[in-house]
Amino acid sequence: MIMDILDILDIVRDNWILLLIGQYPNGPLGGIACTLILSLLGIVLAFPLSVLLALARLSPWRLLRWPATTLVYIVRGVPLLMVILWVYFLVPLLIGHSVSGFVTMLCTLVIYEGAYLSEVVRAGIEALPRGQMEAARALGLSHLGAMRLVILPQALYNMLPSLLSQFVATIKETTLGYVINVPELTFAANQINNQLLTKPFQVFAMLALIYFVVCWALTQGAHLLDRRIARKRAGSSTVPVAQALPSCASLSAEA
Amino acid sequence: MITFANVNKWYGSYHALVDINAEVRKGEVVVLCGPSGSGKSTLIRTVNRLEEIKSGQLLFDGHDVQASMPHQELNRLRSRIGFVFQSFNLFPHLSVLDNVMLSPLHVRGERRHVVRERALRLLDRVGLISKAQHYPGQLSGGQQQRVAIARALAMEPPAMLFDEPTSALDPEMVGEVLSVIRSLADDGMTMMCVTHEMNFAREVADRIWFMDAGKILETATPEDFFSRPQHPRAQRFLSDLRAH
Repeated sequence: MIMDILDILDIVRDNWILLLIGQYPNGPLGGIACTLILSLLGIVLAFPLSVLLALARLSPWRLLRWPATTLVYIVRGVPLLMVILWVYFLVPLLIGHSVSGFVTMLCTLVIYEGAYLSEVVRAGIEALPRGQMEAARALGLSHLGAMRLVILPQALYNMLPSLLSQFVATIKETTLGYVINVPELTFAANQINNQLLTKPFQVFAMLALIYFVVCWALTQGAHLLDRRIARKRAGSSTVPVAQALPSCASLSAEA
Repeated sequence: MITFANVNKWYGSYHALVDINAEVRKGEVVVLCGPSGSGKSTLIRTVNRLEEIKSGQLLFDGHDVQASMPHQELNRLRSRIGFVFQSFNLFPHLSVLDNVMLSPLHVRGERRHVVRERALRLLDRVGLISKAQHYPGQLSGGQQQRVAIARALAMEPPAMLFDEPTSALDPEMVGEVLSVIRSLADDGMTMMCVTHEMNFAREVADRIWFMDAGKILETATPEDFFSRPQHPRAQRFLSDLRAH
């Protein structure tokens, strides 16, 4: 057991650059850096998409609601690996030249996380008291104006912890980039394993540990944020979110 | 100012408003009373089209509120009708001042310093200028409702609608809100107010509309309504009230 731990420390010492940044600058940026950049870019780009999808799903116009709902259902109904393979084969066909594994994985994450986050955004919007939308409309704001000035600022603030949780989920999802040769952390670990040949247990234990530490720290951050927001809300909101039964989005007969 | 002509509304098969014919004249204060579920709130919410009607016509200041019209026109029309909700519905993420300034800034696109000055004047009028930078969650219910009134007044509406403005308040806060509404009445504001505060109704209303089961059963001066109610349902309603 102690030998194993020493082995792991040895492996980390010998390969920390590879684990951290991959073969950069002689090759593409990889390792943890690649994993984190991929997840972060994925979430950051998926976020606006998810807001648009949520607004489309809650919109009074069927022409927006149906395609958005269909897209969200399809993406949520298939495994991530399937989406990766689609993007891997479809994107080069559509744009006429091949793209790197990183870009492929990024596109996949944006689509996949966009769909999942849109459900979080939608829930955040629907959790607000119906009176918020009514009051905004009664003041003469348009549907979109009310969303922009009244509903979204509250809903998005409330969903910050969920956003952070989704970021953690995304970090774990980047491991699947391995199948299309994205040089992220799992890929780097596998390279090490292929060099050493005899120490798979130690290599993959190390890999698991790294993921765990990163994700655990972020999850704790999400909890902390959640508590802070709950405290702030208790101090400064008129109506508790849980009390809001009817949806504010159902008041959208006109814009 | 506000005219209902043969207004009907159904929720599914439930006939919520039945052949409403009535008029609120300019400067008049109308108090709607009646048992709960009688359609008072529904009626008042049709005036700014928070509720749509099935048939009939509803004129506000000469405009057919319920006619099909471009969204911008409806929004402009709504911005000219002050509406105060039972549950205040202040925006918790905005300061009191920003709550009051929101609509003039974003609906009418007025200049910020003009809006700000007017908002502060209105907050002063409802006695809350010292709370301008506070957030709604830091205020009592009565204070929140006074801010909501200031917010509705910020668009300088020719008429105000109140949907049970004191029902969600602790008893000791009812007075401060009613006195703000009373001062509006004294200034000649056209108002419709749904309330269960009968003393307030008697004192402030020019006319009482008594509703039950979606119909206006009686319209009378407060004097006549409280001393000589004509409709048997109104007589029963008032005697039930006095029994408490």
